[in-house]
Amino acid sequence: MDMTTPPKNTPASPPSERLALLIDLERCTGCKSCEAACKTEHRLGPGEYRNKVVWASALEEAGLAFLTLTCQHCERPACLRACPVNPKAIAKDPVTGIVRVDESRCTGCGECVIACPYSAMGYDAKGHHAVKCDLCVDRRAEGAATTACASVCPTQAIRFGKRADLLAAAEQSGRAPRDQDHFLLGPATIYLERTTPELSGTATALTPARAHPGESRRPSFMDAVAAQNKVQATLPAFPYGESREHTTPDRVVPGGCNICFNCCTVKFYFKNNKLVKITGNDDDPLLQGKVCPKSQLTLQMYHSEHRLLYPQKRVGARGEGRFERISWDQALDEIAEKLKKVRDQYGAEALAMFIGTRTGILDYRATTKMFAQLFGTPNKDGTDPFCASGKNVAFEITLGSIGSGNSYTENDLGSAELYVYIGDNQAETRPVYFGMINDWRIRNGAKMVAVDPRLTATASKADRWLPIRPGTDMALGLALAQHILANNLHDAQFCADWVLGFEQWRDYIMGQGYTPEWAATATGIAAEEIKRLAEEIAAANGCVIFASRGVNQHSNSTQTNRVLMFVAAITGNWGRRGGAYFNMSAGTPIAAKVPADRAPKINRPRVRRSPAGWTEAMLHGKPYPIRALITCNNPLAQWPGQARAREAFAALDLMVHIELFANETSAYADYLLPAASGIEKGEIGRSNDDRRIVWIDKMIDPPGEAKSDTWIWIELGKRFGFDDVLKDRYKDPAVFWDEVCIDSDGLRGCTQKRLHSVPYRWVRQPVATEDAPEIETLYLEGTTVPGGAPGRRFPTKSGKLEFWTGELEAKFNTLGLSALPEFYSEREQLIDLPYVELLDSDAEAGVISPFCSPATGSSRGRIVAPDMDHPGAKLRAQGFDTELVTGRPAAAHFHSWTHYFWQSQEMWPDLYCQIHPDKAAQLGIKDGERVRVESAHGSIEAMAWVHAGIRSTAVFIPIGWGERQPYNPWRSVNFLTDKTQRDPVSDQTNLKVLLCRVSRAVG
Amino acid sequence: MQRRDFPDARLLQLTAGAAIAVVFWFVVRGGLPEMWRTPGSPALYLTGVAGVLLLLVPVVFVVVKRGGQGANPVGWFNAHILCSLAGMVLVAIHSGGFLRRPPALLLLALVALAALGVWARVRGSRRMAATFAAKAPAFTRPDAAARERLRALIIEKRSLLTELDPLASEGTFSVNLPQFIRSPRLALAYRRLAREESRLLGTRRAVSMQQAWWRPLHMALAWLFVLGVVIHVVTVTFFAGYVADGGPITWWHLRAWGG
Repeated sequence: MDMTTPPKNTPASPPSERLALLIDLERCTGCKSCEAACKTEHRLGPGEYRNKVVWASALEEAGLAFLTLTCQHCERPACLRACPVNPKAIAKDPVTGIVRVDESRCTGCGECVIACPYSAMGYDAKGHHAVKCDLCVDRRAEGAATTACASVCPTQAIRFGKRADLLAAAEQSGRAPRDQDHFLLGPATIYLERTTPELSGTATALTPARAHPGESRRPSFMDAVAAQNKVQATLPAFPYGESREHTTPDRVVPGGCNICFNCCTVKFYFKNNKLVKITGNDDDPLLQGKVCPKSQLTLQMYHSEHRLLYPQKRVGARGEGRFERISWDQALDEIAEKLKKVRDQYGAEALAMFIGTRTGILDYRATTKMFAQLFGTPNKDGTDPFCASGKNVAFEITLGSIGSGNSYTENDLGSAELYVYIGDNQAETRPVYFGMINDWRIRNGAKMVAVDPRLTATASKADRWLPIRPGTDMALGLALAQHILANNLHDAQFCADWVLGFEQWRDYIMGQGYTPEWAATATGIAAEEIKRLAEEIAAANGCVIFASRGVNQHSNSTQTNRVLMFVAAITGNWGRRGGAYFNMSAGTPIAAKVPADRAPKINRPRVRRSPAGWTEAMLHGKPYPIRALITCNNPLAQWPGQARAREAFAALDLMVHIELFANETSAYADYLLPAASGIEKGEIGRSNDDRRIVWIDKMIDPPGEAKSDTWIWIELGKRFGFDDVLKDRYKDPAVFWDEVCIDSDGLRGCTQKRLHSVPYRWVRQPVATEDAPEIETLYLEGTTVPGGAPGRRFPTKSGKLEFWTGELEAKFNTLGLSALPEFYSEREQLIDLPYVELLDSDAEAGVISPFCSPATGSSRGRIVAPDMDHPGAKLRAQGFDTELVTGRPAAAHFHSWTHYFWQSQEMWPDLYCQIHPDKAAQLGIKDGERVRVESAHGSIEAMAWVHAGIRSTAVFIPIGWGERQPYNPWRSVNFLTDKTQRDPVSDQTNLKVLLCRVSRAVG
Repeated sequence: MQRRDFPDARLLQLTAGAAIAVVFWFVVRGGLPEMWRTPGSPALYLTGVAGVLLLLVPVVFVVVKRGGQGANPVGWFNAHILCSLAGMVLVAIHSGGFLRRPPALLLLALVALAALGVWARVRGSRRMAATFAAKAPAFTRPDAAARERLRALIIEKRSLLTELDPLASEGTFSVNLPQFIRSPRLALAYRRLAREESRLLGTRRAVSMQQAWWRPLHMALAWLFVLGVVIHVVTVTFFAGYVADGGPITWWHLRAWGG
C-alpha cells in the first residue's frame, strides 16, 4: 500500500500536474545564490528563510556536498496538520500540490515549525508568522517561467517543473533520486544523488566523499547565535520587508555586476526609479540568467545605511576614526593644496596612488592612470601584486598577451575531456563559470582533477583531489613536464612549430632530474599520481588547466605559472578549442594615455611594483620619500604585513581615502571621500576569464553627496590645471569610454553603440571595428592574431609561444634568476625546500625590473638551498608547526565591501579558521570554538571550522574581514602575512604558505 | 488581506504599561479610600468582574480560532493580548493587595502567562526562525522500522477517519473543535494516533525544550487559571462565610456556607 496515496474520496494532486523542485547534489556548490534570490524575490529579512543551503556531508569526512533545503510540498504535510487554526492557515493546492501559508490567518504559534521534520518551515521573527516556499506562485503569476532560486542557480542545480517531467528527465540521464521520505509524508521535492566517481588507488589522491547518508550539518560558526543576532538586530533597508505590491517593478534595465571576475550580466528592476531587485539577465545567451549571490546582494550596497554620504576631514588622531563633515570644495581644495606642498618639497613621485579594482576598471585603467601621468608620479598600482601580477608577467612573456584566448562556450571549453584545477577554487570565486564547466563535465562525461591543499567546493566535484603541499605547484608542474617529455607524450609537432626555446627547456628539464619521484617529496603527492595526471593531460583530447591565486600568490608565482603554461603548450593545449591554460581574468586592453607634452618627466623609478614595497619609503624616505597617499579599497585589511602598513600610513603627511564604506583604512585618512559604485556611476564590469566587456549604465544617483571616482579625479585634476586632458565631459562614462578608453585594436569596435545593441550589454574583445565579429577562440592553427602580420599566430614578437630566448634569459638574469625555471618554494615550510631570498630590501633602490612599465625598482633574488639554520627551520623549532593558507572566502563575500551587506554576513558571519579534525583534536579545539593563530609576523583570532577537507598540517583563513566592520568585526588575516616574501619577477607576495601555530583562544 | 500584527516594540510597550499600572496600584493603594482596599468591596468586586470578562476574550479567541468561525484570527490574537493585559491589571486591583491568600495564585498565573507569552513573541520567535534547516534528522538515512510503524499508524488513522469525517483526507486532516464536540470519542482516538505519529517523527524532540514546550505550558497555565477562577467564583458565591472568615461579607453572594 502506498501511504502517500490518499483514499479515493480525498483531494490529491494529479501526479502529472504536481509541481516540484529538483535539486541536484552533483551540481550544487553551496554558493547560496538561491538564498539570495529567494530573499530578494520575497523580501525576506534577516533570519527569515524559505530556503537554505545545508551540508549533506559530515564535517569529519573529506567531502563537501551541499543541498538546498526548502519545503518538500508533501502529500501529507505535517505542517498543515499541526496548524491549530480552523480553517487552516496553511493550505495545499489540490492540483499543483503546493503547500502555502496564508499569512493573514497565521497567529504565529510556531506549531508548523515544530511539526516539519525537514525543518523547512520558516518563521518571520519580526512579523510573527510562518513563512515557507510556495514555489514562487506570485512570481509565476506575473509571467515568470520558473522560481527565483532556479532562475539564478549558477550550476543549474535547481530546476523547477512538473514533478513527473523532472523525474523522467532524471531517469533518462541515468540519475537516481534520493530517498528522503523517512516519514511517509510524500515529499515532492526531488534530490538527485551524487554520481559515483571511480575510486582512486593512492593514499595521496583522495576521492572526495559524496553525499553522506548519515549526519548532515553546517559548520557551527555559521549559525552561531551571537553572530546571527548582530545581523538580526538591524533593520534591513528597502526593499526587504516591503509588500510585493510596493516592489513590483515598472522598469527593467540590463547591465552587469561590478564586483568580481565572473562579471555576470544582470537586470536591474526599478519601481518609481527606486531599485527594488537585481537578478541574472536571462536574455544573455551565454550566462542565461545564472548569477552568484554577490550580484544580487549589491541591492544591499545601493540601499545600505553604512554608506559614506559626504566628504569628511579627520579631527582626531590617525587611526582613531573621528571626522567632521566638510564640503566637496573644501575637501578638494585642501587636498590639492597639500599635494602641491608635497610635490614642491619632495617631488611628484612622493605621491602614491593605490587604486584597487573596487574603484572600477574605467578608473583603475584610465582616469587614475591619466591623473598619475599628469601629476608625474610612477607610484600607482592596484591589487595586482597581491593577486595576479605573477601570472600577468608569465602570460606577457610567454604569449605576448594576458589570457588564454578561449571562451566559455560549448564548442570551446565545453569540448574538453579533462579539467585540471590547480590552486583555483573556481566554484566559489567565479561560480557561474564553474557552473558551466561542471555542467559540461556531467553532460559530456569529462574528468576533473583538483590540486589544492584544501578540498574546496571546486575540488568536491572532482574525480580526484590531490592535497598538495602549498607552495609546491611548481614542483608538480616540473614533474608533469618531465614525465611527459621523458615518455614522448608531448605534441612534438606543436612544440616544433609553435614553441620558441623548446629544446633548451626540454634539455634543462631532463637534466635537472625533476622526476615525479623527486616531486613526490616536495609536493606530498605520490609519484604514481603525478605520472597518472601527466599521462591523462597528454592523452586528453582537450585539457584545460585552470590555475589561480593558489598558484599566483607565491614568491615563485611567475615561474610556476610559466611551468604550467609550458605543460599546457607541450601537450598541444594552446590555441585550440577545449584546450587551454587559464589563470582567471584576461586583461582589458584600455590604453588611456595623456599627450606626451602634458606628462611631466618622471625622474625616479617606481619604488616597487607591489604597494607593500612602498612602506619603507613612507616610513624612512628610502629609497626616496613617499609622503602622500590617495587610496581606494581597504589596504589596511588587504596589504600583507599589516603592522608595518599601519606604521607607514601613520607617518604620511597626507592620506586621502575614497571609498563606499568607512573601514580600517578610513580611520587613518586625513580626508574621507564618499564614492559611488556600479549603477550609481556607470562603468564596465571587472576583467573576466573570457574577454567579455560588460557595460553598466548609470541608472541612479549615488546616495547623499557621494560621487563617482571619475568625478573626484577630474575635479581634483582641475585644481592642478589638468582639465584640458581630464575633461569635464568625461564625467559621463559613456563619453569617456568612446572617446578615450577604446583607442586600441582590441577595443575599437567595442563602442557604446555596439554594447547597447544587445540586450545583455557585452561584447567579447578583441573587436577592431564596430561590425567585426567576435572571436570565440583566439590563436587557432591557421589564424592570425588580431592586428598582427599574416601568419603570426600568437601575439609575441616571434609569433610563437616563447619558453626561452637569449633576451628573456638576460632579463631573468638581471633579477638573479634564469628563464629556465628552477624549482624553489617558500621560506616558511614544514620541510626543507629551496626558497628565494631577496637581496635588496624595500629601502634600497634595487635594480630596474625588465618586466615592468613604467620603470620600476625591483629586488634581486637568489635561490637558497635550505641549511640547518634557515628561517623556516628556526620557526619550526619555535613551535610554528602549521601551514597557514589564506584566500578568498565563499561566494557571498569579496574582500571588504560585502561585509557591509547584511545577507553576506548572515551567510558567512565570522572570520573562520578551517582546521583538520586530527589537528583540532590534538589541540583540544572543537568546531565553532574561538582559536588564536600566531605567525612570526603577528596574531589574530578566528572561529574554528573543523573540516576534514584540508591537509592535516594546514589551516585556512580567508581574507576580507576587518576590525571596523559593522556586523562581525575581526582582525584581518594579513596581520599574519609577511610583505617581504615576494617574487623578484612580478613582486607578487606569498600569501599561501606561512608557518603558524594554533591554540584555543583564552577568554 | 493585510496582516496586522503587534510588533515586538508595541507588545513590550503594552506589557510595560500593564506592569507599571499594577506597580502603581500597589504603591498608591495605601492612600486610596477604604473601598479600594477592602477585598470584596463593591468597587473591587466590580473590578474583578470586569477583569474576568476581559479575560474571557482569550477564551473566545481559542474558540474562534479552533471553531472555524473566525474570519480574522490575527485580530482575535491581538484582542487576546490586549484583554489579557488589561484583565491582569484589573485582577491585580481586585486583589486589594492581599497577596498572601490562595486567590493570589491566580494573579501569579496571569503574570506567568503574560511573561511566557511575551517571551515567546519577542525571544522565542527567534528560536523559531532559527529552526529552519536545523533539525538533524532531516536527511539522515531512512529508518525502515520507523517507517513500518508509521505505515501501520497511517492505516489506523485512515480507518478511523472514515467514521470521523468521511470526506476528509488523512494527509491534510487534523481534529478540530467542532469534531471534538460532535464525536469526542472518535476525535480523542484520532488525536491520540496523531500524537503518536508526531512522536515517531520526533519533531518536538528535535527543537529546544523552550521552543517545544512554551505553548503547551502557556495553554496549561491558562486552563489552570480558568479552573482557579471557577473555584474562586464558586467559593465567594456559595461559601461566602468561609471566605469572610468571621468578617463582614461585603460582596454579592448566594450562600454564606462555611462561616
